[in-house]
Amino acid sequence: MKKFTFLLGALFVFTGLAVAQTATIRGTVSDVESGEGVPQANVFIVELLKGSAADFDGGYVINDVPYGDYTLRVSSVGYVTYEQSLTVDASLEVIDVSLQPDLASLGDVVVTGYGAIEKRELTGSISSVRTQDIEGVTLQSTEALLQGRAAGVTVSTTSGNPGGAFKVNIRGNGSINAATRPLYIVDGVQISFAQQSSNTSTTPLNSINPNDIESIEVLKDAAASAIYGAQAAAGVVLITTKKGRAGAVQIDANVERGVRNIANSVDYISSDEYVQYMAEGFAFNSGATAIDGSFDLQPYVDVYKNFFLSFFGADPSSEDGSQLANTNWQDFIFSEGVTQKYNISLSGGNAGTVFYISTGYEDTEGTAFGSDFTRLSLRTNVDQQIGDKVNASIALNLAQSTQFGVCQDGNYINCPPSQAMFEAPMSYPLNSDGSYNANTRFGLNTNPAVVENEVDRNVTVGFLTGRFSLNYNPFSWMSVTGLVGVDYRNTQDEQYRSPVAAPGQSGFLSYANRNVYNFNTSVVVNAQQTFNDVHNVEALIGGEYRRDYSESYGTRGDGFTGNFFTVLSATAEPVSAFGVNNEWRLGGYFINAKYNYDEKYFLSFVGRYDGHSRFGADNRWGFFPSISGAWRISEEDFFNADFVDELKVRASYGTTGNSAIGNYASRGLFSVSGSYRGASGITPNQLANGLLGWEQASEINIGLDYELLDGRIFGAFDVYRKQNSDLLFGRPLPGDSGFGSITENIGKVENRGFEAEFNSINVSTRDFAWSTRFNFALSANEILELPDGENIREASQFSSLQIGEPMGLIQVARWAGVNPADGRPMWYDGDGNITYRPQASSDAIDYKDGHAEFVGGFGSTVSYKGLSVDAFFQFSFGQWAHAGTDFYFTRTPDFLMNLNTEVLDRWKQPGDITYYPRAMEGGADFPETANYRVTESTQGIYNTSYIRLKNLNVTYDIPTSITDVIGVRGMSVYAAGVNLFTWTAWPWYDPEVAGSTTDIYGNQIYASYPTEKTFYGGIRLQF
Amino acid sequence: MNVLKQSEHNMKKLFIALLSVGFLASCTEVLEDVEPSTSVSFEAALTSPEAVDAIRASMYSKMRGSFDFTTEYFIGPAALADLTSNRPGSSRFQGLNEAVGTNGTTHIGSFGGYEVIQEANLLINGIADGVLDQATLDRYRGEAYAIRAFVNHRMAATYGYEPGTAAASSWDLSIILRQEATLDLAQAEPLPRSTISEVYAAIKSDIAQAKTLLAGVNGDNGYATEAFVEGVAARVHLYAGEYSQAAAAAEAAISKSGRALVATEEGVASMFRGKNPEALLELVIDPNTEPIAGSNTNSGPVAYTSDQWVAQVPTNQLVTKYEAGDWRVAGWHGDCITEQSVGATANGCETVNDLGVSITKFNGWKGNLSQDLTYMRIGEMYLILAEATAKASNNPSAGVPYLEELRTARGAGAVPAEATANMKAFEDFILDERVRELSVEGHRFFDLKRLERDIPNSDGGIKMRKDSYRLLSPFGIGAQNVNPLLVENPGYDVAE
Repeated sequence: MKKFTFLLGALFVFTGLAVAQTATIRGTVSDVESGEGVPQANVFIVELLKGSAADFDGGYVINDVPYGDYTLRVSSVGYVTYEQSLTVDASLEVIDVSLQPDLASLGDVVVTGYGAIEKRELTGSISSVRTQDIEGVTLQSTEALLQGRAAGVTVSTTSGNPGGAFKVNIRGNGSINAATRPLYIVDGVQISFAQQSSNTSTTPLNSINPNDIESIEVLKDAAASAIYGAQAAAGVVLITTKKGRAGAVQIDANVERGVRNIANSVDYISSDEYVQYMAEGFAFNSGATAIDGSFDLQPYVDVYKNFFLSFFGADPSSEDGSQLANTNWQDFIFSEGVTQKYNISLSGGNAGTVFYISTGYEDTEGTAFGSDFTRLSLRTNVDQQIGDKVNASIALNLAQSTQFGVCQDGNYINCPPSQAMFEAPMSYPLNSDGSYNANTRFGLNTNPAVVENEVDRNVTVGFLTGRFSLNYNPFSWMSVTGLVGVDYRNTQDEQYRSPVAAPGQSGFLSYANRNVYNFNTSVVVNAQQTFNDVHNVEALIGGEYRRDYSESYGTRGDGFTGNFFTVLSATAEPVSAFGVNNEWRLGGYFINAKYNYDEKYFLSFVGRYDGHSRFGADNRWGFFPSISGAWRISEEDFFNADFVDELKVRASYGTTGNSAIGNYASRGLFSVSGSYRGASGITPNQLANGLLGWEQASEINIGLDYELLDGRIFGAFDVYRKQNSDLLFGRPLPGDSGFGSITENIGKVENRGFEAEFNSINVSTRDFAWSTRFNFALSANEILELPDGENIREASQFSSLQIGEPMGLIQVARWAGVNPADGRPMWYDGDGNITYRPQASSDAIDYKDGHAEFVGGFGSTVSYKGLSVDAFFQFSFGQWAHAGTDFYFTRTPDFLMNLNTEVLDRWKQPGDITYYPRAMEGGADFPETANYRVTESTQGIYNTSYIRLKNLNVTYDIPTSITDVIGVRGMSVYAAGVNLFTWTAWPWYDPEVAGSTTDIYGNQIYASYPTEKTFYGGIRLQF
Repeated sequence: MNVLKQSEHNMKKLFIALLSVGFLASCTEVLEDVEPSTSVSFEAALTSPEAVDAIRASMYSKMRGSFDFTTEYFIGPAALADLTSNRPGSSRFQGLNEAVGTNGTTHIGSFGGYEVIQEANLLINGIADGVLDQATLDRYRGEAYAIRAFVNHRMAATYGYEPGTAAASSWDLSIILRQEATLDLAQAEPLPRSTISEVYAAIKSDIAQAKTLLAGVNGDNGYATEAFVEGVAARVHLYAGEYSQAAAAAEAAISKSGRALVATEEGVASMFRGKNPEALLELVIDPNTEPIAGSNTNSGPVAYTSDQWVAQVPTNQLVTKYEAGDWRVAGWHGDCITEQSVGATANGCETVNDLGVSITKFNGWKGNLSQDLTYMRIGEMYLILAEATAKASNNPSAGVPYLEELRTARGAGAVPAEATANMKAFEDFILDERVRELSVEGHRFFDLKRLERDIPNSDGGIKMRKDSYRLLSPFGIGAQNVNPLLVENPGYDVAE
């Protein structure tokens, strides 16, 4: 405090003297390599808290500087910060500064749990995605930015629905019955995933405008994440939004428009091919043994054509009613959507206040039936320095998103993605008079045109995410930070079906209102001291509390007189009402003690003691420690490889918890159960387990960070083994006890793997630059323990859990091909002999699994003068899966749905070697043979491996000679694409197979909303 | 200057406040003070009168909601014997019709009864003292004893033999008796099976308790009443071969119910198309909010017989047992159509019976494929009276008056002379009359089993011989894995 007073006093003194003796400092800040000016570089006189920002050409001016000795500090993003001493007096000359580009990132600050450190001090494993990696990349969501960009983070799209959800796994699947979603923290606010819409695929991270993101850090190993204790077992994702910097106000604006289409469509046969196929099936079933040149198929063709004419009706454009329709239902259901985005941000500030404010609006049309996503976001990030010891900061995000969704993910007759498979080409949406065709596959009310026009599924979400923090530095070596974070979310689900779409109810409207009130607060004290210049000691101690309360309530009304009014008040009768709420609370204390010797040897201990309302009364608190160390070999005297700038080995071991065990799983509970004669019933449905606790992850990690050739090559390697034990399982109880099971901590899963990150700056000259980046992760998953040592669902084809096997094991009989003699399907039995009736229990083999073993991404940026091209590829190898809806409904004509083109390679006469059996009228057509339609075999399991050109961006920076004329600081135009090309053997919509955000098997997919590809162009302006 | 100083000072205060909040808030009490919205703790449930009312509601709701004690209870014994068969194209209960391998008796396993018993046990011995006034508590406990006796008896008939039968002398294990509420993990521990005599003793003890507690309670047959308890007693004694007690109980059931046989053609035809005038226990349903057997449209008895699937259709073994003019033929059977679903049709009944009819005792008269479910009615009591009276006195003629009273009420003629020629002939006639009167009301298979008869097929052939091990349901490998004390019924050895 004394110091503060002194400083203020000094300021006054200087100010008083200023009248007589001041000077103006001026000069130019330039790039040491290119010689070009560095616009917006921050030039600052440390002692005076006074500075200015360089202009477009790097020129700067600081007026009214009192005579004296100062430190001049010049900084800019992407450059090493420059400092020099300065004596201001009458002899002061122009001061030009050359900044050294900061090629590598060792000096970069990495955001960690409750703090930030320089990368060289890291002892744990953290992957960072930072502004420069994602600048100019237009993706809708935070998770998409992570896809392929952080080694060891597996991100899969679960829906192409704009605004849809992702499955995110950090270092594999560590749980079976509890969630494996990472903990997401945005600017210190822990985000709740409770109470999401049931109308369509969505995610709470939709609140964040990706344009506002400064960096995303993924805390992967226990050393990095243990400070989040019981919430950290699935990893932690820290999202940091942009902050202002002292200097002139910078305005960034950008406008973008584009179009979206489905990335891949599936090939189905035409009506004529369909008739031909059915005629062959009919002929075979009537005794034919070969369809060769001499066989007269026409009579059979006529029968089926006439049957289809009567079953589906004639093509409405066929004047004499003799032609079948040939509808491409994919074209009808999926059509081009338009996307547009507008963003503007302002940032700047002075020595006391810095701010970043922004607003963004996005409207993205999906491809399926009017699906649409809009987001309007407003962000305010302000940091205020109060005196020299206190800093207050607020980060506030207000956003509203709306989604017009469609139902998806299952064999539902009213969901557009499955309808694209369920409607045969002979069917058609509209009659010639424009009315709905009532003869679509499942009748009028599920005619896709009716689903398009008579069904609404709207989701409106309001987000308020805010953080307020105060940072107090009583001494230069100590700080105290208090933080309050709120994450409020209101979701309104509205589903309307007109009387045409829901004739049984004469139309209905259902409405659900969902609220999340999620609050966290923490206090952290941090102290650091250096002794004898070499002993660096730092300690962080803190406490935290979080409460996540959510509720939902809603109602439904049936009976509309027409399409005039679509509000509840217009319904004839209220049918149902519901309302529930949920809550959990967590309190924790944590400590992080760090020591390093001369920035050469590092040691860090983290401990967190967490109590959770979910844990059993006798096991309320858990302790989660980790220890880690690092050795910067390159700092040793004996290390004299000059081309190596940095070589550091890291090792860590620790435990974390997964508290996602169900809010009341440990309690003995009576729950609402039915009703009788107007009285609601309750029944004991859960026995108390006072010992029920978290699932525990123990992880060992060894890593190596490297930087070579003056920062031209840098990256990291990590190898880890993570064992998740105490997994939640229901232990069966005798049925006569009235309870089926009790939830206990049993079971163990292991994930192990190797991760590598590699970055290179191949060329960096004034006009030409070329850089590449590459990361990959190899991983394996294995179940180690299950209740009573018994495999679970041992014979299950897709959801078996077996000790020693990965989750997602696929067990099916081996496909033996088509019998060339008679066109029958054949399989192998367990002994390797041909069988026509494979039994799942005895003939299935351990085939493949749904675990992707090799995932990652690579990209390269080439720029010449103002033109730059950036391509980023993302890949996944090793996952195998079964496309359920496609398999059961589009390979045989049992239900007269679309038939995929694999039926074209079919057996017709003895001697034919084909992929597909002979044509059939139904899967059960073959005598003495299993039903081809439903018999799972290796034939129906496909490799989902893919390489995808995720982003391709071409940007042109308009030269300053032009921008100067039109009066803007910078201007660029760009054209880009998302998901432009995918190389894969997967024949269905999308090789990113993830059944849901919590799918642990990864081996089945049912009619999900296909991924989309986007082309767009935009313009970016800086003022 | 002062402003800055002041604000810094305030900041310090704020920090101290924040620190205290941060460090003190995280105490255990805060973490424990979290309650679910649709559940309550055991303590709360067993100490509040509203919660006790809700447990009672759940007892009946569970019975009505379980497949075991609805569709399987009513139609299973008919389908497993010779009274119904699956209509071509429908497969529900086809396993019972065919009874191949262990398919069959497995399907009438009634383990789900223990969920009902859990609720009964809570009412009997889980409620804290003083929560309810004594009269209400007595009534609830009486109902719980009655329901427990009823459910245990059905399970005993499924998993064990009847007392006194030849088979019982060589295999005397019956069900697991769960007589205590399960309130914690220790109480959920495995229990062994009890013997037939232990189980029957327990059931009779429950009946005695229920009779005392429900004395004079007969107003509302939507709950267990004194008359219902007598009806349960009549059944239990009949199965136990205690004929005079069975007859006395049946007589008491009729008189205490205050009900009489429906005795007009119109009355018989409408008997199952509204509140059943003969019902001793009739569980009530709200068709809009309450499902039967989980789903009315998929799993309820209406969906199985007269609507939706029209899956189990009467066989000739059933429809040819009636004489001309018997009101029950036209009254309880109907066209082979789905009764409720507009425009839907079914056909193929004619391939199962010569009349081409379906059974319409379950017709969905309340809408939404649902109706109140009659678990016991006085028609059955007359049949018990007839059988038990004759057997008690070893004189067929002694049973005839009750039979004729019933038959007259149904428009059927006098009991033919050959039916009284000897006890065997009389028992044959009683079995036939029970088919005519009680088809798809839950009796056929169990009547044949208790009387040690072969189980016939729908074509009249033999499906299971009377000494077949398959008359008893297996508990299954799953139940044995969880309960090492559980001895499987003979014939269902694990090694196959």
